[in-house]
Amino acid sequence: MACGGRVRFNVGGQVFETTTTTLANAGRDSMLGALLDSSWNLPSSSSPPPPPPQGGGVPEYFIDRNPSCFAVLLDLLRTGSLHVPPHLPEKLLYREALYYGLLDHVRAARWGAFDGDRLRLAASVPGRAPGDGTAIRAAPDGGCCVAHGGAVHVYNWMLDERRPVSLDHSQVNDAAYLDASTLLVAARERRHHHRGGADGDGGDGGGGMAAFSAVSGELLHRFRVAHAKQAKPFTAGALAFDGGGASVFASCKGRLNEHGVGVWDRATGEQADFFYEPPGCALGDADKLQWLDGASALMVASLFPRSDNCFIGLLDFRAKAVAWSWSDATAAASALGDDKRVLHAVAMEDGRSVCVINQYDDLGFLDLRKGGGTGGGVRWCSRSKLMSRKVLLPGEESCYPRLATHGGQLFSSMNDSVSVFSGPEFVLTSTLRRSHGGAICDFSIGGDRLFALHNEENVFDVWETPPPPII
Amino acid sequence: MSGGGPPRKRNFKIEAFKHRVELDPKYAERTWKVLEHAITNLKQRRLQHNASGLSFEELYRSAYNMVLHKYGEKLYDGLQNTMTWRLKEISKLIEAAQGGLFLEELNAKWMDHNKALQMIRDILMYMDRTYVPTSHRTPVHELGLNLWRDHIIHSPMIHSRLLDTLLDLIHRERMGEVINRGLMRSITKMLMDLGPAVYQDDFEKPFLEVSASFYSGESQGYIECCDCGNYLKKAERRLNEEMERVSHYLDAGSEAKITSVVEKEMIANHMHRLVHMENSGLVNMLIDDKYEDLGRMYALFRRVPDGLSTLRDVMTSYLRETGKQLVTDPERLKDPVEFVQCLLNEKDKHDKIINVAFGNDKTFQNALNSSFEYFINLNNRSPEFISLYVDDKLRKGLKGATEEDVEVILDKVMMLFRYLQEKDVFEKYYKQHLAKRLLSGKTVSDDTERSMIVKLKTECGYQFTSKLEGMFTDMKTSQDTMQDFYAKKADELGDGPTLDVHILTTGSWPTQPSPPCNLPPEILTVCEKFRAYYLGTHSGRRLTWQTNMGTADIKATFGKGQKHELNVSTYQMCVLMLFNSADGLTYKEIEQATEIPASDLKRCLQSLACVKGKNVLRKEPMSKDISEDDTFYFNDKFTSKLVKVKIGTVVAQKESEPEKQETRQRVEEDRKPQIEAAIVRIMKSRRVLDHNSIVSEVTKQLQARFLPNPVVIKKRIESLIEREFLERDKVDRKLYRYLA
Repeated sequence: MACGGRVRFNVGGQVFETTTTTLANAGRDSMLGALLDSSWNLPSSSSPPPPPPQGGGVPEYFIDRNPSCFAVLLDLLRTGSLHVPPHLPEKLLYREALYYGLLDHVRAARWGAFDGDRLRLAASVPGRAPGDGTAIRAAPDGGCCVAHGGAVHVYNWMLDERRPVSLDHSQVNDAAYLDASTLLVAARERRHHHRGGADGDGGDGGGGMAAFSAVSGELLHRFRVAHAKQAKPFTAGALAFDGGGASVFASCKGRLNEHGVGVWDRATGEQADFFYEPPGCALGDADKLQWLDGASALMVASLFPRSDNCFIGLLDFRAKAVAWSWSDATAAASALGDDKRVLHAVAMEDGRSVCVINQYDDLGFLDLRKGGGTGGGVRWCSRSKLMSRKVLLPGEESCYPRLATHGGQLFSSMNDSVSVFSGPEFVLTSTLRRSHGGAICDFSIGGDRLFALHNEENVFDVWETPPPPII
Repeated sequence: MSGGGPPRKRNFKIEAFKHRVELDPKYAERTWKVLEHAITNLKQRRLQHNASGLSFEELYRSAYNMVLHKYGEKLYDGLQNTMTWRLKEISKLIEAAQGGLFLEELNAKWMDHNKALQMIRDILMYMDRTYVPTSHRTPVHELGLNLWRDHIIHSPMIHSRLLDTLLDLIHRERMGEVINRGLMRSITKMLMDLGPAVYQDDFEKPFLEVSASFYSGESQGYIECCDCGNYLKKAERRLNEEMERVSHYLDAGSEAKITSVVEKEMIANHMHRLVHMENSGLVNMLIDDKYEDLGRMYALFRRVPDGLSTLRDVMTSYLRETGKQLVTDPERLKDPVEFVQCLLNEKDKHDKIINVAFGNDKTFQNALNSSFEYFINLNNRSPEFISLYVDDKLRKGLKGATEEDVEVILDKVMMLFRYLQEKDVFEKYYKQHLAKRLLSGKTVSDDTERSMIVKLKTECGYQFTSKLEGMFTDMKTSQDTMQDFYAKKADELGDGPTLDVHILTTGSWPTQPSPPCNLPPEILTVCEKFRAYYLGTHSGRRLTWQTNMGTADIKATFGKGQKHELNVSTYQMCVLMLFNSADGLTYKEIEQATEIPASDLKRCLQSLACVKGKNVLRKEPMSKDISEDDTFYFNDKFTSKLVKVKIGTVVAQKESEPEKQETRQRVEEDRKPQIEAAIVRIMKSRRVLDHNSIVSEVTKQLQARFLPNPVVIKKRIESLIEREFLERDKVDRKLYRYLA
């Protein structure tokens, strides 16, 4: 292009001048990339475009759009960082970015890479749903979904609410993003709904598990469970995927004690396997499933209050066996007065141990390389004394604590705050707390964001790492 | 059409737009007409470039507006219809192309389509980002490819014609014609762009089938008229051609598939016939050292299942067969040195083949080793012959050779030694041969001797060589002793004959006790003086003279006064000394005077009287053999050009049959205590063991030295039971118990 690659734009009457190098940052898959592409600028005798050289041979293009947004986006292409003037509404900017095909650029510059110790509250989104929230899940692109009652509310990364998703309005137990645009929902089977139909037609319209488009809310696929080659209705509990992305797992409860963990092929959606619950291992009631890449095994945790005793096991699907298990069945029954009850569990990222938490917010560790057994084995770190705990007022609601890991850090929610633990010894390094909203009933990390769902009025907080400082 | 539907709940902004749209109900229709015109023009861009007169920005904005105003579906369906209609037109143009122009036309149209598709997608980018994902439609680019696939590639008039053209071109190239590879590349790339399934189903699968039948026919023709080497050359060339073809104009994923077709049709299906081909198969290649052919065969056979194992099996059976012939050929057995040299040459030859042609394949090396191990042990004289070979090399053969050369030869011998099962037999012979070399001073170099010992030691351990090393120590001590003897007793000895004694430790040397002969009085005096000296310095020892092993240098004056120095054995010296006092003596007289054992005496007389040029004695009657009635006379007429005459003993280098038997027997005797020791060692640690386990354990412990015979082991166990080292279990007779 002429003149050292300079380009002139007339956007809504305002003239901008820039270079092709800057515009190349937009990529060929953007409107600006296509506009400058040689196939649209072939020398031709008859036509007005390519734009007539004006003012010293610099080509000029007219674009019928908002100039102030174009200024911000051009600045983004020049510097890679996003600076939105205070008077410019974000939604307006997003709309213009979508026009130019630069929305992904805006999202990438909007917040920084996740760092548990540098999180800032970015937004508080009030919910409108009645009743308590069940779960919140982060999407890989920075959006999220909130499950409560029979519906899942879906938000994109701009925190605009999309069409809510529901599986026959059955009570939702868990939700999970297969990818940014596909959402899995696990729901309770609705028996009364199933009038007159034979068992064989597999719980149509009665809960279970299904995949939805996170964009349009459409039902994409309903997952089935067959026992003895007959499709049966079931209640799906917790969800998980394996590391290679080939399988989907869910804890399942059928009507006739068909309890266990179902496995589906991710590509076809067909049932691939079913791990029936062996005696003493409450797999069908599991609250949490987690795939361990290193061990090629699925961690299953059944926890109070859904089951009376905590059971944690590793399932090896190739050997069809429980490779490791631990339970507090005997400890609870023993007269030792050890009333520490495991309320949540998460496998650590190195795959060597499982972190658990009790009602006193003590963290404990189970070594996966040693035998599990019952009762003992938990290495408790009594950190509750070190914590500045908010003293609950009588009558104030509390929630069960939750655990998560991300990037070598450990996160736990208790009451109205999320604690961040770092380093090999998991030292408390940050606490995220907001003054109102009540206790945190669930939180989730994904798409470089942390979402915390509060018990009161389903308000959820979005925590982000700010973009890196200028110097 | 969704745009015309009843108003839904929308936010404020959209309502404002909708309001504007309503001002112009024909807006969508008009915008679409503009876009349709542009799209159609793009598809025919060679005819009139961008004649709509609209800039990209305007087209993009139009498409944007349509999507924004909920006319996405209309836009998408319109695009689909326009493209479909246009592609149907194009398919007619391609169908109409004549003969060879067909592919060119198809390719040109494909290029146009791609270019147009890119620009259409540019215009409709906004729809691609917003409308397409939310309504689960196929993205524009993919839609364009799918339509091309359905309306062009799968059109009945094009589908089979395309396949036939491609396969025909490939066939023509195989037959040596030059084809337009660039065009082929574009077409296969197009099929890949349409999806791997299109490439595989519509081209690759039939291509592989046609190739299989082509190569099946071609290989059948070749195998009838080519020899193995030429056939392999052709197969290799075909294989390379196919790989080259893939790299030039097929998808990389096809390489493994087409090469496996060639391998199967050209190699695997004819594998056995090739290997066993008369006059040119594997065996002939091995015989003629055809490294290049062998290397090719290895490289090709490695590609097919069971290829290498077939090669290996044929090579092994060939090696075993020729080796067996070699070691059992009576002609070969006449000269042990030649025999071993033959084995070494054979080994070198095949080592080189494996190294050069088979890429030092471990499995082939193992096959070679096991074959040698197999046939070397077929001949139970191999240990003796190998020892003789070493003897020959260390005696004289290595004169002038550098130390490295010697090392190389010794290393090769050690290789053969490793194949021997009866290592103890080798040890026995080696000891004998070493003793002879040391005592006669024939060994070339002390260093090489020691180097050989070190090699044996590293191979078989300290025990194996301790006695051999003892022999070297004896030689050194004897030298010192003699120096000391002459230093101390010089005045006592005067001018008498010089004595050189080797003091040999009993047990270290392979001596057979033989009664000493009567030494001449001159010698006897010196001997007695030495005995007195030696026993005086070393108390508690015994000296026995081994007169059968010594040598002597004597001076003799013959008839015409010519003087010669005669180098003879001790026995011969005793005989000759008798002629100082007599001119003629009968056999009986000599035997009486010397008391030399009859067999030795005969041999020594034979060498004194019957060897031409060395006959210092004259025999009557003249004949080759010595009989007890012969009379011997001092040969006055003896002449020789040499001052120093060396009179050898007529001694068979190779053992005679009875000697062989004797050695064998001694080996067997020596094995007995070793087997017993092994049994006791095993039983001491195990306490109780059954018969079969003992046999296998003993075999395992001893196989480094020899393979014990189970019958012998059983006899040793019985002997140990008799001597109450072991007892049979009272209940289970097969069990033995150790008695501490």
